[in-house]
Amino acid sequence: MTRPLLQFEGVTKRYGRRPALHAISLSVEPNEAVVILGPSGCGKTTLLRLAAGLEVPDDGTIALDGEHVAEPGRNLVPPHRRRIGLVFQDLALWPHLTAREQLDFVMGSVAVPRSARTERARQVLTLVRIEQLTDRYPHQLSGGEQQRLALARALVGQPRLLLLDEPFSSLDPELRSALRGELLRLQQSLALTTIYVTHDQEDASTLATRLVSMREGQIESVTSPAPIPRTASRAGERLS
Amino acid sequence: MWGLRSSRTVILGLATVVFVFACFLPLLYMIALSLEPGSVARTYRVLLLDARQRDLLYNSAALGGGAALLSTVLGVPLGVGLAWLAIPCKRLFRLALVAPLLLPPYVVGLAWIYLGSSTGIVATVAGRDFLSEWTYSLSAAIAVLGLVYYPLSMLATEVAVRRVDARLEEAALLVAPPGRVFAKITLPLAAPAIGAAALVIFVLAVSDFGVPGLLRVRVFTTEVFTAFSALYDFGRATALTVPLMVLATIVAVVATALVGDRLVAGRRALGGSRPLGFDRWRITISLFGAVVLIAALAMPLAVLVREALGAESIATVVRGSWSAIQASIMLAAIGATLVVAIAVWLGYARARAGLVVGRLADVLFVVLFAVPSTVVGVGLIGLWNRAGPFGQLYATDAMLLLAYLARFVPVAALVLAASVRQVPVSHEEAAAVAGAGWLRTVFRIVMPQAKLGILAAWIVAFILSFGELGASVLVAPPGESTLPIRIYTLIANTPSSHVAALALLQAAVIFGPLAVLGLATRSREVG
Repeated sequence: MTRPLLQFEGVTKRYGRRPALHAISLSVEPNEAVVILGPSGCGKTTLLRLAAGLEVPDDGTIALDGEHVAEPGRNLVPPHRRRIGLVFQDLALWPHLTAREQLDFVMGSVAVPRSARTERARQVLTLVRIEQLTDRYPHQLSGGEQQRLALARALVGQPRLLLLDEPFSSLDPELRSALRGELLRLQQSLALTTIYVTHDQEDASTLATRLVSMREGQIESVTSPAPIPRTASRAGERLS
Repeated sequence: MWGLRSSRTVILGLATVVFVFACFLPLLYMIALSLEPGSVARTYRVLLLDARQRDLLYNSAALGGGAALLSTVLGVPLGVGLAWLAIPCKRLFRLALVAPLLLPPYVVGLAWIYLGSSTGIVATVAGRDFLSEWTYSLSAAIAVLGLVYYPLSMLATEVAVRRVDARLEEAALLVAPPGRVFAKITLPLAAPAIGAAALVIFVLAVSDFGVPGLLRVRVFTTEVFTAFSALYDFGRATALTVPLMVLATIVAVVATALVGDRLVAGRRALGGSRPLGFDRWRITISLFGAVVLIAALAMPLAVLVREALGAESIATVVRGSWSAIQASIMLAAIGATLVVAIAVWLGYARARAGLVVGRLADVLFVVLFAVPSTVVGVGLIGLWNRAGPFGQLYATDAMLLLAYLARFVPVAALVLAASVRQVPVSHEEAAAVAGAGWLRTVFRIVMPQAKLGILAAWIVAFILSFGELGASVLVAPPGESTLPIRIYTLIANTPSSHVAALALLQAAVIFGPLAVLGLATRSREVG
């Protein structure tokens, strides 16, 4: 049996007196695509933020690849040492940096050798199909291009776990469907482990290998949707 | 409703006319004078050919640049700390850190003279005098002004950092440590506001008269004062104002371009928690703040107290200057009321103006506020000291009120514009649809929502008027004196204990309204 990549054990998180998560226990295995589904305010985003280290649990523990990264009241491993990528709901693209500079910031932070950065950036931008937009600032990109850049930024540091917080929620149905397909392609080709938060059933059925339903800060059910063929990684699309 | 005879047109038009008369005409008069055929050549000569003037230019630029740099170095870490960190008693800490800005700079300068003089604390403790020479130097003036103006940089940084979307920092924290996130994400996004604050500090320092006057540093403002009051050379005083006005205009344009609409946006800072990861800086920044507080507030006040205790009787000192104290408080109160009465309409007009007109108004307000006090004083004298109806006001206390109006209406208008902008236009539209006239809408809908801003503008105007020196010392009628003028004239020939006691009294009168404002904001937040 493989060791879980991410493990929540009895995690509770409160904001003031209001509980956002209550005694959550959840394991995510390597190469899994977990989709967390639930209505607004059910604690989906809080769960992602806890995994990323942007929040501290009030109770319970969180482990990454067998290492305890958080315990009640404190983070044992800060966010930047967890090797996690996160695509925010509003994307959080840095407005003063071009597409290439956004990737450079990440690569500089995770100590990618300077000589390898140009090639790595080209690969990732090609992967998300915005290789011609390297010198554009976020406000010069369309909505779909911004989503792709946010995805590229999350991938360029080669995270062991990719978290996506309703990244397509603000898009029109056509673009949303196209990007969903893109994400599925990346999941499969890069053998990514992902947790995808959404309240959209179609997202869930397309992207999930395991579906977690949440309500009022608790896990309601864990199911496996109809299997989607997941091809082996293609070497040509791996990041070098 | 918005026709030529509408109440809106009449009131805003009247306010504009008063603004032009009070604030713009003295400046316009000086500019016109400097452009007369004889004066142009003289201005050119004063500005470019004289080595003495080049020294003057160097001193002024070094004073402004040094004070801006020091203020930024002190203010930025404190602003970041206030924006991000859970510092104990943060409200009180912020209020204390802002307090030095409210002291007239020359009061702090006076304290530093007493601290560094041959009989001061440093010489007494060290057993020898090694500071008194430095005390009267350009670098000392930079230190004093840097310690007075750093709150501007601190507040600008705090607001700018709060406005950076926390998610942008969180996205960076996923891959980078807090220090790198601050340097690469937060600081670049906050930099325009920090830069604009530095430019404003530069102008304020360059246009200050009290500190370089006390510390005997030759800069343009002291030279204007000397040219007019000692040499009675009106033309030279006029010529010397030109570089300052050019500088003020350039800085106002750059500052407005840097911060754009945010100059009066007055948007509420983002609520909620700040990103994790920065907490480790809490102790360092708290300690740094404590050190700055000691240097900028506690030490000057302690030095003044120590000096004042040498007075035979504080009561005697106060009695001797009682008429000046009374006159100061009364004139500052009347002045602040007049300033707000005009600025509230100008602020309203600015808040509801379109983009281009709004930006132009911002530039104009900043330029007028940056005009050095001595220049305003000389302009007022030139404008009002003449035969006919204008001359009736000259040599009365009205000149002091005109000086307050000329100097402080622009800054009050900026404060009030920020406040009015927080009232949504839709609230006015709803009142109009409900049948209310414009005046009724302003008094019943807009002003009640902007009342804290109006109170703040009044207190700012009162504090600034109460501490005004550069223009007052020139336009005050013979035999009349305000507290700042009395302190300034007593320094040369009165025991330091008397002067220190009066300076402390001035500080006490200033901190009173501050406490009122603090209580008002607190009760509003609690309510």
